[in-house]
Amino acid sequence: MSTKPKSRWASSAEDAEYEARQKKEKEEKRRKKALKLQEEEEKKKALLAAATTISQSAEANDDNDDAASSSSRPSKRRKLTPEPAASNNSSATLLRFDIGTWKPSRSVDNYDKLNDIEEGTYGWVARATELATGRVVALKRLKLEAGDPNGLPVTGLREIQILKNCRHRNVVAMEEVVVGNDVSKPDNSIFLVLEFVEHDLKSILQDMPEPFLSSEVKRLLLQLTSGVAYLHQNYILHRDLKTSNLLLSNRGLLKIADFGMARYVGDPRPKLTQLVVTLWYRAPELLLGTRTYDAAVDMWSVGCIMGELITREPLLQGSNEVDQISKVFELCGVPTEDSWPGFRRLPNARSLRLPKQSPLASGSVIRARFPNLTAAGASLLNSLLALDPEKRPSAKEMLEHEYFRQDPKPKPESLFPTFPSKAGQERRRRHEPDAPVRGQAVALGDVDFSGIFQGRDKEERGAGFSLRMV
Amino acid sequence: MSSLLANPLATPSQLYRRASSASLPRDVDEAVYFATQCLTQVAGRLLQLPQSVTAQANVLLARFWLGESPMAHEFSDVSAATIYLVSKLGPLPRSPRDVSNVYAYLSSANSALFPSGELPKDDPRAYYQTEADYYAFQQRILGLEARILQSLSFDTQVSLPHPLAITYLQTLDFLSQPRTTVSLRTIQYLNTALLSPQMLYITHQPNALATAAIYNAARDLGAKMPEHEWWEVFDVDREELGFLVVAMRSVEGWMQKLKEDFPSFGNNMLKRSMVEDELNRRGLQVGNGDNTPRDEEDEVMRMMDSR
Repeated sequence: MSTKPKSRWASSAEDAEYEARQKKEKEEKRRKKALKLQEEEEKKKALLAAATTISQSAEANDDNDDAASSSSRPSKRRKLTPEPAASNNSSATLLRFDIGTWKPSRSVDNYDKLNDIEEGTYGWVARATELATGRVVALKRLKLEAGDPNGLPVTGLREIQILKNCRHRNVVAMEEVVVGNDVSKPDNSIFLVLEFVEHDLKSILQDMPEPFLSSEVKRLLLQLTSGVAYLHQNYILHRDLKTSNLLLSNRGLLKIADFGMARYVGDPRPKLTQLVVTLWYRAPELLLGTRTYDAAVDMWSVGCIMGELITREPLLQGSNEVDQISKVFELCGVPTEDSWPGFRRLPNARSLRLPKQSPLASGSVIRARFPNLTAAGASLLNSLLALDPEKRPSAKEMLEHEYFRQDPKPKPESLFPTFPSKAGQERRRRHEPDAPVRGQAVALGDVDFSGIFQGRDKEERGAGFSLRMV
Repeated sequence: MSSLLANPLATPSQLYRRASSASLPRDVDEAVYFATQCLTQVAGRLLQLPQSVTAQANVLLARFWLGESPMAHEFSDVSAATIYLVSKLGPLPRSPRDVSNVYAYLSSANSALFPSGELPKDDPRAYYQTEADYYAFQQRILGLEARILQSLSFDTQVSLPHPLAITYLQTLDFLSQPRTTVSLRTIQYLNTALLSPQMLYITHQPNALATAAIYNAARDLGAKMPEHEWWEVFDVDREELGFLVVAMRSVEGWMQKLKEDFPSFGNNMLKRSMVEDELNRRGLQVGNGDNTPRDEEDEVMRMMDSR
């Protein structure tokens, strides 16, 4: 435990002798130096007494005795640094990782609750101030099942670990974890102390009278994508991206929040559950029951969010898994072996009955559904909502997309409009499905989708086209 | 990204506080630490967890005991709680029931962990757990889980030196040795270091541990090391390397001495009660608020042991 001040490993007899000799020599030198200094001091005093060199020394430099002594008799060499160690005087700069230490969590009593923000499936969030500093924060209580035979929920522990490790301007920052006062009880409350952000994007979209300008949509998307790129670069899948999990500050800064579904995916890939992502934002491969998915599921959600930012309405509002996948096929077309190689091998796709393959039915109608989107915008949305996960761009690739370079340019955050804060006074409303929970897996079973495009050919084409909503 | 390569470390003041407020004499404290870390390793084997998981449990236990007296909880419970927690967070979760069975077996008279000459004949009755036993165990483990997390402020990430060591060996072209030989020796040093009462894993960063293990392996195998100060390439200075090299090499000798000093500790699962007996023998009082009434479960265990 206790580090020895001297390096013991190298102390053979010769080493010791050598060191002793060195030490002696040093001692000798030091003694001589001290003697010399003393002499100088005396000389100086004598000189001062004679009072002959005052003007001279003032002319040279009058700030310290160094100058004084140099004026009297310059010492040959004055060492300012300690003598270099005997053998290794390497100047290599070594990389140092300092990520601090650990200490027990503080008590929630350090915070004073102001008001509830929301109480959803995944827990309770309140606005609070830290008593010591007066800073406003968001307190999120980890949802604990009383008497859970497995103890603390692993999702909550993952959320904490991930937030602890993340530092990015577009990811909500966690300051600490505080606990209730029943320290040794398994169901003692645990609170995440998060930075407080005024709005969530969902409420803003619901309340705004006019949709976001396309320059604003671009800035929001850029921020979302750079946050997602950061997560993916750090081997984190969010797995529940949706507008209600995106926060927006009064300064136009977007932050990704709620990492209750998130997890690290290393190499080799751990077994992943399909029970992820809120239904409306869930990628087709998940709906078809894939066991191996990757960052592309988050990119699908980004595509859904892009559509929602433009229209203010969630893009694909299925009422259940079957309805959801049929909505997906309505919008993006029916998969074929060409457009999505291998999709038939997915567990839920084997028994799907799809409409007859006609070029009309298998195409995407995204372009038609967003008539005001530029060609670049439509191509981006199209690629994000590609049925084949392989064809979706990565977050990093998306940041380079033409769409963000075209006019209108993304609006600077500082020019964003402000919105009246909901979190200040009232609870947030929710009209959307919740994130999935354990044990909800749905096999689609035998589903017949062959009728979903009936009547499509009777619809009008071209500008002003809107898909008939069944 | 540095958190994937580095660990939070104990500060000098934490180490000092632990040393000065210790509830146990230093040698007993070290013996307890060693016995519990060994127990975790064995339990990891029986739970069929990879060393990457079990080693993290070792590190979490070291972190936890830096701030908490080892006498505050039964040693085997702390060991079980850390391994349960780490496995839960990792790719291979183990159920409380599995963990309970393994620890019941290990502490039974039938346990192969404490061989008395030959392997005992398997007798399931010796480690049978009633529902009540299991429930009591589970409650203790889950309580400890929360407790451990709180005292570590929920930071459960542990970066191990093992993968780094292999990468470094690759960089050094395996010191012109057979790959498996030199890798194995290196990993052995790293694994042994987990048991060292010097708590090397919470006082040194993985890169330093990896480098020191390679240095030791190279010395053992008589491998030629680069002539210049190659450890600096891995961001380790000579002082730290030297300390770790000695610390790692000394574990074995220290273990031998431990066996002589505490012959009784190696015979069955080390319990708080045994430590108390040892302290009584020395005429010392158990310090630091260990006034909790002895657990019913322990009594049962003891009865089983003495059968």
